[in-house]
Amino acid sequence: MRRYLVWFVTTALIGVLGYSAAAAPAGPAPQRGGVLIVGSGTDATTLDGHLYTDAPTATIMEHMVETLFELSPEGRVLPRLATAFSVAPDGRTWTIRLRSGVRFHDGTAFDAEAVKFNLDRILDPATRAPWRFLISRVTQVTAVDPTTVRLVTDAPFAPLLAHLTHSGTGIQSPTAIRRLGADYARQPVGTGAFRFKEWVRGDRVVVTRNDDYWGEKALLDEVQFRVIPDDGARLAALEAGSLHVAVRVPPREIERLRGSRDLTVRIDTSLRTIYTAFNVSRPPFNDKRLRQAMNYAINKEAIVKSALAGTARVSDAPIAPNVQGYSKIMQYPWDLERAEALLREAGYSRARPLRAVYHHPTGRYIRDAEIAASIQGLARRVGIELELRTLEFGAYIALTARPKEQNDIQMYMLGWGTVTGDADYGLYALFHSSQFPPVGFNRGFYENPRVDALLDRGRITVDQAERNRIYAEAMRLIMEDAAWLFLHSESQVTGIRNVVQDMLVHPAERVMAHKAWLRR
Amino acid sequence: MWAYIAKRLLLTVPVIFGVAFVVFAMVRIVPGDPAQIIAGETATKEFVEAIRKDLGLDRPLMEQFVTFMASLVRGDLGRSIRSKAPVSEELWARIPNTVRLTIAGLVVAVSVGVTAGVVSAIRPYSVVDSAVMLVALLGLSMPVFWSGLMLILIFAVRLGWLPAVGTETLAHLVLPAITVGMATAAIIARMTRSSMLEVLRSDYIRTARAKGLAEPVVVTRHALRNALIPVITVVGLQTGTLLSGAVLTESVFAWPGIGRLLVEGILARDYPIVQAAVLVVALAFVLVNLAIDVLYAAVDPRIHYE
Repeated sequence: MRRYLVWFVTTALIGVLGYSAAAAPAGPAPQRGGVLIVGSGTDATTLDGHLYTDAPTATIMEHMVETLFELSPEGRVLPRLATAFSVAPDGRTWTIRLRSGVRFHDGTAFDAEAVKFNLDRILDPATRAPWRFLISRVTQVTAVDPTTVRLVTDAPFAPLLAHLTHSGTGIQSPTAIRRLGADYARQPVGTGAFRFKEWVRGDRVVVTRNDDYWGEKALLDEVQFRVIPDDGARLAALEAGSLHVAVRVPPREIERLRGSRDLTVRIDTSLRTIYTAFNVSRPPFNDKRLRQAMNYAINKEAIVKSALAGTARVSDAPIAPNVQGYSKIMQYPWDLERAEALLREAGYSRARPLRAVYHHPTGRYIRDAEIAASIQGLARRVGIELELRTLEFGAYIALTARPKEQNDIQMYMLGWGTVTGDADYGLYALFHSSQFPPVGFNRGFYENPRVDALLDRGRITVDQAERNRIYAEAMRLIMEDAAWLFLHSESQVTGIRNVVQDMLVHPAERVMAHKAWLRR
Repeated sequence: MWAYIAKRLLLTVPVIFGVAFVVFAMVRIVPGDPAQIIAGETATKEFVEAIRKDLGLDRPLMEQFVTFMASLVRGDLGRSIRSKAPVSEELWARIPNTVRLTIAGLVVAVSVGVTAGVVSAIRPYSVVDSAVMLVALLGLSMPVFWSGLMLILIFAVRLGWLPAVGTETLAHLVLPAITVGMATAAIIARMTRSSMLEVLRSDYIRTARAKGLAEPVVVTRHALRNALIPVITVVGLQTGTLLSGAVLTESVFAWPGIGRLLVEGILARDYPIVQAAVLVVALAFVLVNLAIDVLYAAVDPRIHYE
């Protein structure tokens, strides 16, 4: 069987060259040592890399546990613990070559058996790994030799490599997992540039440099991830110098912080898209004209500019840029006349306004409640009366997840982070008709056979250029159907003290200190 | 006396069981599903169901309650739904922090509050009295998430004298202690003042003055001691409140105490954590109240417990 090989060497070389070219004109030489303190809003939930679901925990895990592949900030899949891969012509058998000479923090060897143990553990339903679905197409994992694993999928599954970049598929020490059982979640063991030191509940997680790291070693002695739930206090702590990095800076504070000589506010892209889904299975939004009218009636630029202080990007596709498969599709311009014309056509007028209930969370996404209020105000201008309803997030998610026949919600705001960096994850669960709740995340019950067919094809097409065309077509249909009120993709606003150099804020919402150092 | 304490301690048992029942019911009445929250917003129904089963949440409520109570009697609080760690471990990680903050807050509250109250009472309706009471009113009215932030901005950001957040050293304790202590100090000041005013008008104070005792002795030895009974009641109530976690202060200062554990538990629908934290808080309330009752006897020899 003739396989066609896709080697990473060229990609990796380009990556390295690109990096050094970019880094060439840099100032002082990196200095070793020091403790970096990162402030985030919530504590880690668990330190078992296969069991968490939230971004703050992912940030911590990324420093200790590594994946086979990594997603570059530009959205490319690069090797990490893997060195190369090949896929058989049937598109189902993936052979992955592993880096040799790598050791876990407990001294045990990283090899094909360890990879098999980890993937099998994630795949085992009894593990309850939330990210199991990323690799659930894998039916068999074989350790061919110490540096080669073979994965077989039940059908061709193009997003597999992108999914193996997700930190929920990280490779952890089988010895430690076996030995520690349930307690493993409190003392993780990976292969990363940092090793676990301590977890003081509700206060901090501390990692120290791994001096035996296989790759470029970290410069910092230690990184502390501190929990500071209050936004204002987190900023104050940053300004006072108690923190080096503060995540999720409220947009309204950006201007003020820009006046500071000691710190810099960074605005980085995120893979998270904020949208308002329409329940297309029921009146009134089973009428496409009304959905389009809403899209024309809302001035997205104004929302981004005022509520988000310009830190977000108005959506021109259902997924964010930097996602593999993204292309610019279209935008509904702010056009009150067209909105009103569509409303009239559908039988509504100012005398007989369209009324709908709009559900939104509060405090979950950046300025979510304020954005909902802006939408309400803008809709009123064309005679759409929205009644706002807000719920605490736990209750909110349960409400939107009800099956079709019980789900009487009309429109609701949600966000989706395409954390695998691949369009399949950002589109399939949200728009494929097999993904209605309670199964998937298509909570507006959008259904279009042509979109279904395209999303299915995107999954089994390995050629990326062809996939890009497929996804572009699917996204065009989705946007023309106005399945959502398309809003924006968020940005990550991070406050960083100027002594900190080379900190990476990854679009997958992780701050990474692997190369960071402190200027003294 | 000891018989009285033993009786009161016995009485805590039904209180704790009552609280256990109420909190068990309440966390389940609140909408939201712990299994869904653990599974993540993107999880499938099967996955959520599997987790619900692991947690025993698919069982009938009555059965869940019996299991919970049986474990409670054995002293087993279960494991956190979210972190999988034993609940007792989660609690012990937080309780010392809460106790530390409570004690420090009380030291601030009592020293500032009693002093301010006495100073006010000595010269009632004077400028000093009005000024002290105005400050007390402010202290009472300022929300702690604001006053806490202001303290951070002034003493940590502007002056750089104290650390903004954290728990490591005594210096870290100063700002949160002042923040939680401020409101309590205001209450104590007002209570001390009115109690002192009443006592200072009484006959035995006139007698004390008549026999030529120095004014400071009259105020501290004769008046203050008698004025303290209602103040102790207030301190007791406030101690209970502080032990139940000064949630807002803990959030502002990133202080990992019981209050924040409780709030995080509620948001994650972490039933075992919420149940256990509420039980601890209830127990703290009961014990503090008992301690206060015993303290009355120590302060006022006329009070006896049989």
